Order: sequence, then structure tokens, then C-alpha cells
Amino acid sequence: MERKKKLPQLLDMFQHEEKYKSNIVTWKTIEPKEAKTAPFPKGVAPVLREALLNRGINELYTHQATAYEEATEGNSFVAVTPTASGKTLCYNLPVLDTILKDPSSRALYLFPTKALAQDQKSEINELIDEMEVDLKGYTYDGDTSPTIRQIVRKAGHIVMTNPDMLHSAILPHHTKWVSLFENLKVIVIDELHTYRGVFGSHVANVIRRLKRICSFYGSNPIFICTSATIANPKELAEELTGEEITLINNNGAPTGRKHFVLYNPPVVNQALNIRRSATLEARNIAVELLRNNIQTIVFARSRVRVEILLKYLQQLEQRELGPRSIMGYRGGYLPKQRREIEQGLRNGKIKGVVSTNALELGVDIGQLQACVLTGYPGTIASTWQQAGRAGRRQDESVVFVVASSSPLDQYMITHPDYFFERNPEEARVNPNNLIILVDHVKCAAYELPFKQGDTFGGEDVEDVLEFLTEEQLLHHRADRWFWMNDAFPAHNVSLRSASQENVVIIDQTTAANVKVIGEMDRFSAMTLLHEEAIYLHQGVQYQVELLDYEEKKAWVREVDVDYYTDANLAVQLKVLEEDQHDQLPHTTATYGEVMVNAMATIFKKIKFETHENIGSGPIHLPEEELHTNACWFEFPESFVQTMGENRLEEGLLGLGNVLRNVAPLFVMCDVSDLHVTPQIKAIHSNKPTIFFYDRYPGGIGLSERVYQELGLILKEAESIVVGCECESGCPSCVGVSGETGENSKETARYLLEYLRGEHSDVTEG
Amino acid sequence: MSRKGKLNRMKKHMNLGEGEEAPHIVDQPVHSVPHLQKWRDLDASPFFLDGEYAFVRTKQYPKTYQHGRYVFQELEDVVERWNSFHRSHPLSSKHLNPSDLLFFDTETTGLGGGVGNTIFLLGYSQYTEKGISVNQYFLPSPGAEVPMYQAFLEDVKELKNLVTYNGKAFDWPQVKTRHTLIREQVPKLPQFGHFDLLHGARRFWKNEMESVRLANVEEQQLGFTRNEDIPGYLAPMLYFEFVKDPDPELIAGVLKHNEEDILSLITLYIRMSNLLLDHEGKSLSAAEQFQSARWWEAVGEEDHAAQLYKQTTGRHEREARKALARIYKKQGSLDKAILIWEDLSESTNDEESDIELAKYFEHKERDYEKALYYALSGYQKWKNKKRILKDKEESERLQYMKRIERIEQKESR
Repeated sequence: MERKKKLPQLLDMFQHEEKYKSNIVTWKTIEPKEAKTAPFPKGVAPVLREALLNRGINELYTHQATAYEEATEGNSFVAVTPTASGKTLCYNLPVLDTILKDPSSRALYLFPTKALAQDQKSEINELIDEMEVDLKGYTYDGDTSPTIRQIVRKAGHIVMTNPDMLHSAILPHHTKWVSLFENLKVIVIDELHTYRGVFGSHVANVIRRLKRICSFYGSNPIFICTSATIANPKELAEELTGEEITLINNNGAPTGRKHFVLYNPPVVNQALNIRRSATLEARNIAVELLRNNIQTIVFARSRVRVEILLKYLQQLEQRELGPRSIMGYRGGYLPKQRREIEQGLRNGKIKGVVSTNALELGVDIGQLQACVLTGYPGTIASTWQQAGRAGRRQDESVVFVVASSSPLDQYMITHPDYFFERNPEEARVNPNNLIILVDHVKCAAYELPFKQGDTFGGEDVEDVLEFLTEEQLLHHRADRWFWMNDAFPAHNVSLRSASQENVVIIDQTTAANVKVIGEMDRFSAMTLLHEEAIYLHQGVQYQVELLDYEEKKAWVREVDVDYYTDANLAVQLKVLEEDQHDQLPHTTATYGEVMVNAMATIFKKIKFETHENIGSGPIHLPEEELHTNACWFEFPESFVQTMGENRLEEGLLGLGNVLRNVAPLFVMCDVSDLHVTPQIKAIHSNKPTIFFYDRYPGGIGLSERVYQELGLILKEAESIVVGCECESGCPSCVGVSGETGENSKETARYLLEYLRGEHSDVTEG
Repeated sequence: MSRKGKLNRMKKHMNLGEGEEAPHIVDQPVHSVPHLQKWRDLDASPFFLDGEYAFVRTKQYPKTYQHGRYVFQELEDVVERWNSFHRSHPLSSKHLNPSDLLFFDTETTGLGGGVGNTIFLLGYSQYTEKGISVNQYFLPSPGAEVPMYQAFLEDVKELKNLVTYNGKAFDWPQVKTRHTLIREQVPKLPQFGHFDLLHGARRFWKNEMESVRLANVEEQQLGFTRNEDIPGYLAPMLYFEFVKDPDPELIAGVLKHNEEDILSLITLYIRMSNLLLDHEGKSLSAAEQFQSARWWEAVGEEDHAAQLYKQTTGRHEREARKALARIYKKQGSLDKAILIWEDLSESTNDEESDIELAKYFEHKERDYEKALYYALSGYQKWKNKKRILKDKEESERLQYMKRIERIEQKESR
């Protein structure tokens, strides 16, 4: 049997062996960085200092020292810290110090997930045990037993929880938490960058509620936030907390040598400019690493990709690595499964893991040596986070980014400077999204009546209160608004999912053991859990036998087939209100409000490996309605005559494809959060139009951002179409010509030129 | 840009529930109490504090008043019997007078706990010199909690002996919650002690009745049927109506409902005490007697429980005899226990007695032949039964095997 290679030998192999070498576009080695440290601040409680000394910590990294100083001066701050830079000490040090000096003090830690809270609890409790002081840190989540809950409420110095628990279990029962709220000195928000989009907008409102409750009990805590590298940590922290925030950006932690490899799969069809599938290439790279015993994490962009890769890689298990050494990890798995996987990674029993961005967060899985990204994760911030999974401490490590054929990936891989030099994206929240705001004003009114002149995190909400009074949820009397309804409003508000109700996935393979294996939001269920869909879970294929859309249940049965399914969504758009206009050279861009009607129409069966279409069927599901914000621009009606309807349609379709992929470059979001819909004859104007809209009711600021950046987006789109080497369209630009039409590329290019101010001969609007 | 317009347009995306459009209501100035005469007709009057007011309603019933099958006066007899009985029990009113007991219930704007679930009616009844007094404190508008709690807390002084139905899990925590919100403006909540009759109702009647809701218990155990009762779940709706249009007629039914609740609690206490204090089993069903015995055993009064088990006949007889043997064993009267076990082992397919005998002969008598006999006979009986839980079955089977092997080894030595 051949000997296992070590990482440096393997890297050498990748650099020299022809089948890999020719596909490597960029190989960048990031040199190790020395630690920058500062002496222990004088004021730190002696017992705490000693405990840290015992653990071998005799000085602080610069950012940790700054964090302590800011906190002791009573300033709220956000510390920007990459993976594994000792960020927990940024909050644990000032918090423990505060409590040691005044044992009546309390702190509240918010983590985006339960798992992170549990990790941190073990970490802080080790430190507390070392000090031998009477100080209690507890997690408070759905798993906490009723007897412990009592103790946590009364005696927990540090309560570690997640925003969902705060929202639905703590704030609506704040009278049971008097000792916490009366003495709250510090609120810690870890992984701040995850609070963006819909989730972040909800959490900003939960924090508004939290601050209301604190002020009712007379406390005025500071906020300590930690964030991965994003463009606007200070702004995001300020929007989330409503406080003035100091930025701490002097990370002093050391890093090991890291190889960053940008890998572009070879072109297999020159005319169509089609490349080999990123999934297959990522698989090959991962196999090389895994069979040499290099612990590797493979990231994929979607749940389906994760499952497909997992299926491929698990073949290694049988032949070489042994059972259960390669696992999948994503949302939709039950918590217990996830805990087992995390532990397996830490103790080395699991060699490889295939994950969606779920493992981007600081879940403690120990130190991996290699990381393979299947496709560009969509944002620079995400890429660095995922890459941070490899080589958390000082070892050499490698990160492969395997590009797919999508325009975004191809843009990124052909512009490495863009990636290595550019600032990461902004994270945006819109706490005043009307639907989200109203939900939380309801919850807030349940928790405490509103008084005339009260604001909600600085926002005047009297109109909302009046509206809720008319809707019979509040009662207005004298100068106050009281909750006057028998409901418990927090139960109807989910912070996570765009649609409010999730579809439960039930496995009925064995009649004696029918069980729930996961859940999914309703909008996604339309295209992923329709009847006959193939649903993948832990590498196992299930076919959906019945989707009970009313009851929100999908009944599935295990199958073994060689295809997966992909569904189409038909969309209709109506403009309700035009809020802002901006002049483009020949036409106008508009930002406003639209109503979207979406309906799943048909699904296709697509064969693994060859990706050919081997059948299709209709989907019978009711239409979903969505009020949201949108940005759009239109072309003159005359284009229909001058170009012909077919040709114009092909062009719009192609342009839509490019824009769908380019827009996320400028807005930190998933391709699926922001939809692009071209229409040859828009209902409101009869003109050919392209719409961008937020997928969440009321919008979360994505299409607004597109509206602001439209000039740049169009410019990038044009450079992609012009720069692409294909003849008449490929997946890297306007799409495959077989699908979008043979004139798609040429027409899209013409349309872009028109938008960007060329073709001045066409002026009629 | 008007947000109101948007609000109405996006209504569908908001969880507003079903609600009709509200009529526009002009607020009443606080000093003029609307419908004052109607309130007086309902025996209620306003209690003012700092310009706000709550209603206090009081009513008297004679001691001889017949409420269902019971007369309130029987409470005196019951309390006296508790006082002269030397055993202790959570429902015992030993060292108390009838007037120390406060029979307490609330009405709220919603179900379940949570800060926003407002208590709009606090009611208690009390046995006094003059008769039964009913006292209710009603919140005429959500801003008036301070006068409501003030009036209530001034009247009750002490809450050491509350008698409720599910008050431990619901009413009392909710009182604490709402009180916390105004804790700086009203007196502290006094120390509180509790008789929660729901627990007893479950013990006595869970298997006999479809549900132990108070209304069912009244009907089937207390001989009390309500006329034109407003069911409890409608109370919040009626209250919301009242808040918009403060006509006491809307809420009179809810006041009546609460009044009947707190009166029924008196007779329920009488009924349950009778069950627990009936030492001869004259007035209880076989099932009730068995449950009474179990309760006494659970609270540690084993001698008394044993007395009651001895008298148990009918469908619970076997369980009662096993329980009796268990008490004998615990008290060290093994000889008495063995007699029962041997009898049960012979006459029933209950394997537990066989196990007990196997243990006894193995460890005490060291008579391994007999021990093995009972171990095997127990295993046989156990095998003949159907079981639902697979893993439990496996662990039980292993226990049997272990025991049998061990005894066999000892026997062969």
C-alpha cells in the first residue's frame, strides 16, 4: 500500500502534476504573522489574572487589551476578529472582571446558535473552576430542564442564550428575570456579522425590546460585539444595538502559513465554454487530501450540493477510511446529529465533513488542515470565514476555491485582485422593515405598555400603535397603549425563516418507525418538496410522496435513483408604488414597492454525473403572494418591433442571468435572497423591464442597495459579457444558448450598451 | 410617505389574527365612572387611587346556603375534624380556623403565562362570622392595576392559606408577574401558602372522569350545575368588548362565573376533606378509598395508609394488597408481607410478588431452592405478558436472567 503523504508533499504534488497544475489559476501563499501583544492591564482582578496565568496566558493580544480598556471605561464596542484569534477573551475578560468586582452584576451572552452557546459555556466554566469562585455561567435554551431554568433565572451571573430564546422565552416572561435585568451590566453579541438580512433585522428589533426591558428595571448595560471581517462592522453594530460603538480593529493574534489556491476546472466544450463541474473537481481534490489522512472540510453552496458531494465522498469510506468517517453538516439536520458530528471532528474520528455555510460560524470543531470550497461562497467575507476553518492555529494549511461556471465564480477567478485586495462586503439590516417592525412592536407592547412619546429604539412608532389599535390588538387609553388580545405574539414570529411557517419533513419508509427528519421554509418547499421531488438528507435520497401544503407536512420515502430534481417558478409582478427615480442615460431606474405572485410550475429530473434532463412533471401548488421592495429599469416598447419579440426575450433572459449573479457582489446576500425577473411586457407599463426584488415581505434593503449601485452593477455585467470567451452564451455569462436562445449573448450585450449610454440613436422611450 | 397606507397594504403578511375593524372610541375622563348605577346593582363600587379606580364587589351568603350537594357550614365540621386528627396531610387545615382559608381564583385576558396576559379579575371567598363573603376586584381598564392590587392587598393582609384550582401553576405565578410590573406602587405580596385542589382532583378522579375541569368536577362530584354560565374561554373576548364599551352588563356573566368558581372551591374542599378523613370507607367508592390510601402513603402516613389498604375491595384489591405488603416490608414486618406475597404469587399472574419472594429467600433465608422457584415463576409470568417498549423489555429480561443465574450459582455451591 502506498504511503500517506504529508501536507507539504501533497502541495508539491498539486503544483507539479499536470492534471491539477494546469487548472490552478492563482496560488497565493499568505505568510505567517507574528503575535502582537500587550501586558496585562493593571486593573484586572488578581484571581482572574492568576487563573489566566495558570493557563499559560501571561500577556494579551493587542485587541484583547484594547477591548478590556474600552469595557472598563463603559464604552460599547465591536471587535473585529478572524477565526481563532482569541476573541472570546475580548468579552470574557471584562465580563468576569466586572462580576468578580461586584458579584451582583449580571451579563447576557447572545450567540446565533445553541451550539455556540454550549461551546462557550464549557470554555468560561473551565476558567471559573480554575478561579474557585462562586460564579455561575449557564446556557438557557430549549434543552434547559425546568428545574435548572429556575436557578438560571435567579442566580445565573452569565446567561448564554440565542436571539430566538430571548425573543420567545425570556423577554415575554421578563418578570421572572428581575435579578438579571436589574443588574445587567454587559450584553455580549458574538458573531455579529451573522445578524444581517431578515434575521439581523429581526434581531435588531429584539434588542430594541431588550433595551426597553432593561430601562424598565433601571439597568443600562454596555454592548460588546465580536464580528468576522466585514466592510461595516461599526455601522452594523450601531444599527443592531442602537448605541454608539467603538471599533476595535487591532487584531494581534498570530496566524500560520496559508496557501490559497484558486482552481478553475478545465473547459470541456470550447464552443459553449462549458467547464467541468466544480462538484466533480472538488471531489477529486478532497479525495486526494482525505486518502492521505488530511482532515478536510468541503463547503458547498446548497443543501443539494452538500448531499451530492457527500454521496461521492462516502464511497471512500467503504474502500479506505472506514465507516462514519465522512459526514454531512447543514441546517435541516436535527441538533443531536449536529452535536455528534462536531464532536467527531474534534476528536478526529471524523476525517472529512461536507457542509453548507452552517459551519462558517465559530462552532468549535477543532483544527482542520485543508478546506475545499465548491464554488465561490458568494461573498468575500464568507470566503475568509470558511477558509478560516483550515489552520486555525499556527500550522500550515491549504484552501482550494474551485470555481463553478457561474458568472460570479468566473469573474472572481479571473480577477484574483478583486478577491485579495478588495474590502469585504457590507452587512445590511433593515430594522424598520414594516412587517418585521410591526411584529416586534406587538411583542414589545405585550411585554410593557407603550407610553405617548415613547420611541422604539429611536423610531417613532405611534402610527404603528394606532394601526394595531384599529386591528384590535392594542387598547389606547389616556396616554398609553396596552396589549389587549388573548394571543402570545412572540409565538407567531420566527426570527429565522422568511415565511412564518415551516414544512415538516416526515420519513415514512418503515411503517413502524415514522419520524421527522427535518424542516424547511414554505417558499423553499414549493420548489424542493413538491410531490415527486428527490429530497436528499445525510446522503440518503428520499422521494416526496405527499406534500400536505395545508398542514405543512411532507411525507417522504427512501429511494435509490440516479437523478435529482430541479423545479421552475413562474413569477408575476405588479408595481404598487414608485418611491424613487434615477436617470440612466436613456431610461429611468425606479425603486418602489411591488406585489409578486409566484407559482411552482414544472420540475425536471436531472441525471447525476452527466446532468442531462431525463424527464419532467407538473407541480400543483397554490400561488404564493409577496409584497416587497423592488428596483427596476425598462427599455422602449419600440425594441419589440425593431428586434423582434423572440430576440428581445432572449436578450432579457440572458441579461437577467448575468445580473442575478453580479448583483450579490454589491449586496451581501445569497443569490436566492434577491430575485431577478425579466419581463417583455411589464404589467404597469407594457414596456420590456427587468426587476430586482427582495424575497422577504416588505424588503430588507437589498433591492434598495441595487438601486443605489445600479451604475456599477451594469458596468460589471457588461465587462463579464464582453470579456467572456464563449461564442453565443455560456453558463459563465448569459447562460447556455440552448436554454436562453442563440441570440441571447449578442442581444444582452446590446441591451447593456443601451443602458450604459451607447446607441444614442435609439432615444425614443 | 405615509406608513399607514403601507401598513394596510401589507396587512396580509402580518400575524394579526381575525379581528373586525374597531369602532372609534372616545376615552372617558377617569373621574366620571360610567354606568355607576348598574355597577351598584351588581353590588360593586369603585375604589379610587390617584385618579384611577378599580371596582370592588362584595357579596354575602348565609352559612346555611346550599351550593350543590353541600351546605357551606359543613366547612366548620371539616376543619374541626382536621384539627382533631393527628396525621399530617397537604390539605389538612389543622391549627387553622375556617376563616383562615381564602378560596381564590382569577380571570385573565389570555391563556398561559407571559407578561402580557393581564389579570382583570381577582376573586376570593372566605368563611366569616356573618357568613360566606365573596370579594372580587375588577380592572375596568388596563391602566388601573394599581388600584386593583391595592384594594385586594389591603383586604387580604395574609395569603398563607390560599385554596385554588391549578393556582400553583397558573393563577399565583400570574399574580406575581403582574404585581412585579407595579411593585413600586403597591404593597408587597405577602408570604403565600397553598392548597391546590387540582392535584387532589387528579388523584381521585383522573381515571373516573373524562376531564377534571372544575366544571366537570362540580357536576359529577359536587352536585352543582350552573345556569347560563359563561364558559371561561369566552371571558377574554367579553372583557375586550367591555374595555371598548364599559357597560357592566357585558362583564356581569364573567363576574358571576368567577363567583361560582370560588364558591365551588369551598364545597370541593369539603368534599375532598371528607374523602381523606373517612377512615371507615363509609362514604367513598372503592376507587376513591384506594386513591385516598395511596395519597396518605405518598405523604408518608404509612400506618394510616395501611389501614385504608386493608379495607380496599373490588378492582383495586390486588394493588392495595401489594401496597400493603410494600409498607410491611418497609416497616420491617416481613412475615406479614410474605403472607401477602405468597398468596398473590399463587392466585395471580402478577410477577412482582414472585420477585419479592425470590429476593427474600435469596438474601434473608438463603433458601436458594425456594428463591430459584420464585425467580423462575416470576420470569414465566413476565414472559407471558405483552410489552410495548422494546429496549425496556430487553433490560428487564437481562435483570431476570442475572437474578436466575446468580441464584443458580449460589445453589450449586
